[in-house]
Amino acid sequence: MNRKYSRKRLQEAGQGYFFMSPTLFVLACFILGPIFYAVFLSFHNVRLLGETAFNFVGFANYERVFDDRRALIALWNTFKYVIIVVPCQTVLAIILAATLNAGMKGEKFFRIVYFLPTLTSSAVLTLIFMWMYNREGLINFGLETLGLPTYDFIGDPNIALTAIMIMNIWATAPFFMVIYLAALQDIPDSLYEAAELDGAGPIRKFWSITVPHLKPITSFVVIMGIIGTFQLFDQSYIFSGGSGGPDNSTLTVVLLIYQYAFKTLDTMGYATAIAFMLAIVILIATLLQRKFSKEENLY
Amino acid sequence: MNKKWMVSMSVTALLAGGVLAGCSSDNGGEGSSDEGGKTTITLAGWGGNPTEQDLLQQTLDDFEAQNPDIDVKLEVIADQYMDVMKTRLIGGEGPDVFYLDAFEAPAMIETGVLEPLDDYVTEEFDVEDFEAPLLEAFQKDGVTYGFPKDYSTLALFYNKTMFEEAGVEVPTTWEEMMEVSKALTKDGVYGYGVAPELARQYFVAESLGGSVVEDNMANFGSDEVIEALQPVIDQHNVDKTSAQPSEVGASSGGDMFGQQRAAMVIEGNWNIPYLEETFPELEYGTAEVPTINGEKGTMAFTVSYVMNAASEKKEASWKLIEYLTGKEGMETWTSKGFALPTRKSVAEELGYANDELRGPLVAGAEYATVWANGTNLPTITNNFNNQFVSAFLGERPLDEALKEAEEQANSEIEANN
Repeated sequence: MNRKYSRKRLQEAGQGYFFMSPTLFVLACFILGPIFYAVFLSFHNVRLLGETAFNFVGFANYERVFDDRRALIALWNTFKYVIIVVPCQTVLAIILAATLNAGMKGEKFFRIVYFLPTLTSSAVLTLIFMWMYNREGLINFGLETLGLPTYDFIGDPNIALTAIMIMNIWATAPFFMVIYLAALQDIPDSLYEAAELDGAGPIRKFWSITVPHLKPITSFVVIMGIIGTFQLFDQSYIFSGGSGGPDNSTLTVVLLIYQYAFKTLDTMGYATAIAFMLAIVILIATLLQRKFSKEENLY
Repeated sequence: MNKKWMVSMSVTALLAGGVLAGCSSDNGGEGSSDEGGKTTITLAGWGGNPTEQDLLQQTLDDFEAQNPDIDVKLEVIADQYMDVMKTRLIGGEGPDVFYLDAFEAPAMIETGVLEPLDDYVTEEFDVEDFEAPLLEAFQKDGVTYGFPKDYSTLALFYNKTMFEEAGVEVPTTWEEMMEVSKALTKDGVYGYGVAPELARQYFVAESLGGSVVEDNMANFGSDEVIEALQPVIDQHNVDKTSAQPSEVGASSGGDMFGQQRAAMVIEGNWNIPYLEETFPELEYGTAEVPTINGEKGTMAFTVSYVMNAASEKKEASWKLIEYLTGKEGMETWTSKGFALPTRKSVAEELGYANDELRGPLVAGAEYATVWANGTNLPTITNNFNNQFVSAFLGERPLDEALKEAEEQANSEIEANN
């Protein structure tokens, strides 16, 4: 009896795995395989072009990051970018969502207008912004008309990263706004009514009801924001023509990985080592964020 | 029960089979076809403008007409040419014949992916006919890995109308250029449009006897190089008579010149057809690059055809290279003047030396510095450009910027070895 049961169970499990095998195969082939291969590469000096050669070097690739001035610059740039962009886009998303939820006139129209930037591909968006950021482009024209100083947004190392930040905040905030909007609909009206009876104004209601109720969503938005901003690549790649210039000011970690992996020969191992360190940094940042917003269940 | 098993098994097998089929890339038809005794070889290069592409197609048509048993498949890689090429070569999917810039050549030769061509060369091919410095860019230890298809040099382009208005002469020395720049700079027009990057400044950097690269290491932080480049910085920051294209919202030196935001630029011969097409009403002339300390100098950029060492159709590939870099093919290719012929005989035949606009460019070939130097030039260039721009924009002194960039370049080079 017992034996028969276990045989049946085995059979059933086998059947299950058989059905899953295509997916498992795809996962192993395209996700797990490359990850393990990257780990393998990061401990070697790799030469891929011509005669392929793998030279085991232990942790040398990881140590090299700390001697590499450009890697440190890239890390610093990315850090600055995350620290500024994530809070800005989150706050902007909440404000946009709250205004849309307030029930003003033409709400649907504004919802569409706000959401438009998200629909554009980031490459196209970057090209449009570069055209606006041009020395004689729209933004400088506007600044000049208002009597404000103009900037060389693309060519000036002090401003280039800020220019990308502005562009990215503008482009990603609406996406998170939609998520907030959905969450806002879930907040019971009775709470607002009760607050009103107690004499709370709109700002007080926003801080005491809306913001606390959105906490779990904020946690999600911030984590997604951190992951997204740490992976900044396309904007700075297009902005600087792949160089990370001017003066390394738009060099991000992912752009540096790309440069080491594909631009210079024989540095694939080093590139994978940086990629792993980036993965670890993102992991730590996410864990920290979760720790700080522990009390997620408010209800 | 058994039946169920059978069904699940076969469904799984089908699904897995489908996935596997999707995985393995279909190699059929990719260069390996020998249909009807015809050999198909692939030629890869970057795209040019439509007229240039037509010229190449015409050259290839002529070749196919002469070699009915060979079919040439042209692949144009629009962007990031070297990245795509390296990746494809690693994956074993490289083309049989492809373009290679002299700048990237030494590093590629070292990897062994290029086929040495000396054994294929016949007496008739006439190697002696090539301009020696251009051919040397693709040689290592006396072995030739590619034959230069064409080259471009830099010359001074000047706006005739502006020169007349300002009442100045075309400069022949660097000092004169600084002077006329002052007279030409006014109302948003700069005297000189400059490209602050190593590919354009290399000959200036070495004009005082310094060397940018020494023993395959960066050496541009040396005093001679810094002293030679200081005038370029000063002209921008002290005289304020020069600007880089992005400062006036232009995309390139040619664009800046065409839009009449700069009275002078130092550009290559690709600029001539570009100006003709985009700014046909522009009145301009060309002259040799002004001398520095009485010495002539300019840059030469060259590209060759090379053969993939892993190619399975080497004979046919060589025939293609032989035709394209031979006297006949080169004459067709360079006939419109997008690039200059690397063969002395073809240059003579086409008479570019007497051409009003192209004469100064051809004259430059004699004393030009070829843009190639050792396997580490890409790393060196990257670091140079990064810091040179910040000095150019006046954010830090040139000597400090270049010394730091040199250090960074050399530490990267050392770490790679």
